[in-house]
Amino acid sequence: MRDLPYRWIEAIQDRRDYIEDQLRLGSPVVGLPYENGSLLLTVTKGAQKIFEVHDRIALSAIGHPADIERLRMLVTDTASVQAFQSATEDVNLHRLTHYVLAHTFKQAFEAIVGEAYIIKMLLVEIGNGDAKTQFTHINYDGNVNVHHESAVIGGTSEIENAMQDYLTNEQSDTETDLATTIQLALKTWAVGRELSQRFEEAEDNTEVTDEQIDEIIKSELDEGEIEAGILDNSLPADTKFRILSQDEIQDLTNK
Amino acid sequence: MMNHKGDFLGLLRHADTLTDETEVDRETSDVNLTTKRDLFQATPKPIRDALQLTSKEKTIHGTTLEIPEATTVVAMRYQNGIIIAGDRRATAGTSVVHDRAEKVLPIDSHSVLAISGAPAMAYEIARVLKHSFQYFRRSQLQELSVEGKLRTLSRLIRDNLPMAMQGIGAVIPIFALYSPQTDESENGGKIYFYDALGAHFENVDFATTGSGSIWIRGVLRYLDRWGDTQLENMDQRTATITILRLLDTASEYDAATSGYNAKAEIFPTVKTITHQGIDTLSEDYLKDCYVEAT
Repeated sequence: MRDLPYRWIEAIQDRRDYIEDQLRLGSPVVGLPYENGSLLLTVTKGAQKIFEVHDRIALSAIGHPADIERLRMLVTDTASVQAFQSATEDVNLHRLTHYVLAHTFKQAFEAIVGEAYIIKMLLVEIGNGDAKTQFTHINYDGNVNVHHESAVIGGTSEIENAMQDYLTNEQSDTETDLATTIQLALKTWAVGRELSQRFEEAEDNTEVTDEQIDEIIKSELDEGEIEAGILDNSLPADTKFRILSQDEIQDLTNK
Repeated sequence: MMNHKGDFLGLLRHADTLTDETEVDRETSDVNLTTKRDLFQATPKPIRDALQLTSKEKTIHGTTLEIPEATTVVAMRYQNGIIIAGDRRATAGTSVVHDRAEKVLPIDSHSVLAISGAPAMAYEIARVLKHSFQYFRRSQLQELSVEGKLRTLSRLIRDNLPMAMQGIGAVIPIFALYSPQTDESENGGKIYFYDALGAHFENVDFATTGSGSIWIRGVLRYLDRWGDTQLENMDQRTATITILRLLDTASEYDAATSGYNAKAEIFPTVKTITHQGIDTLSEDYLKDCYVEAT
């Protein structure tokens, strides 16, 4: 197939369409900073989607559960081995992204006779000292985007753009507490969820009203539950990650 | 080969194949995952040679096991959990080489290893243990059970047996933890003592190890049985004062154990393990307790 370039390009495009179709209905994930660190939030119907990778690094993803698990283990194993062989401080998100994950994604995506990863990944590393908090978005084709203020993953780029626009309008310039941050993250998630259910229409109509946001949160939480993980700089232990309990989430969203 | 069993030592053995499964060309990567070392079996050659020489000179054939453990560490159950302490002195023969050694090492949020024996191996065992517990939690998405933690430490100590048999690498730790699942009205603190082959024994009320331990084990027994307040019923301040007095007693009779160095303001390391986690008692708090203790 490689001796016929146009067929290769066509095959890649087919693969892209297939993966995006598979990802379209994925429950979005929102990553936001707050006064003590960073938050990752989504809504799930059972399977865990937010994971600890290392002391200051967390991961979330949408896509096929088997691919998420496979790549989660790859990055967790790599970080653990690096930390043991040198030091915990030598593990950072930049290295894990660029030298482990990005080209793994790209290679699988472009090897058209093999299986592609149906996945989009969002990783966050909280700053230490002068280092800024970093959100890293990795697309299924290996493209990497780094953000410092916030980041989202959704089924399509249109959905992600709409979520990011909502955040741009609503996000405060000052650091907010965890309750305010969770509430904003949940509304941003709802924008993405609403658009993912509109299918093709979402490309033309990305307007989501406050009423629609409230409605979709209410209906989705009938079947699913909020999952939220934080990297909290104020924790005394080396490990800054923890999953919030349902009681904590309940208290924070009702404040 | 990816490791899905949460076995950290297993992961290290297969570290060089980590990315092979994903068909990544590692030659283009800065990530060097090819170094595969089992630190407890592949000792560097110069050290192996030195060990063999020592072994021949001492003609130890496994019938005599001398364990150099110049230190004193002690743990006891008190009202809120476990209090665990160690002196700060590190010695080489008759020389004091360091006065600020940390011998009470947090392993995870609710467990602590207090070490006696060869520092190089003891610190490495603590490091492997810490990484093992973390790796299990991160890969398996749950905490390793108490039994799992105990067995991991057993395995590390047993793997260290050749070093122990040669008389220079033995490690005899105390492992103390608090089981967070325990109802808050009960004391979830547990203390385990290990032998050089890795067998572990639960010490219900207290444990002490190191060269200074012989001077205080009897005292602990006496206090627990006939003291005004049983160890387990002591509040934190009483338990701290008791443990400082015990270390002071050990330092009086054991040259390898340091007490409180008032001039340099060097205090023993004292930690508590409770339902809330590990807390290192501050120097100000210890100084205040010393006023009452002496």
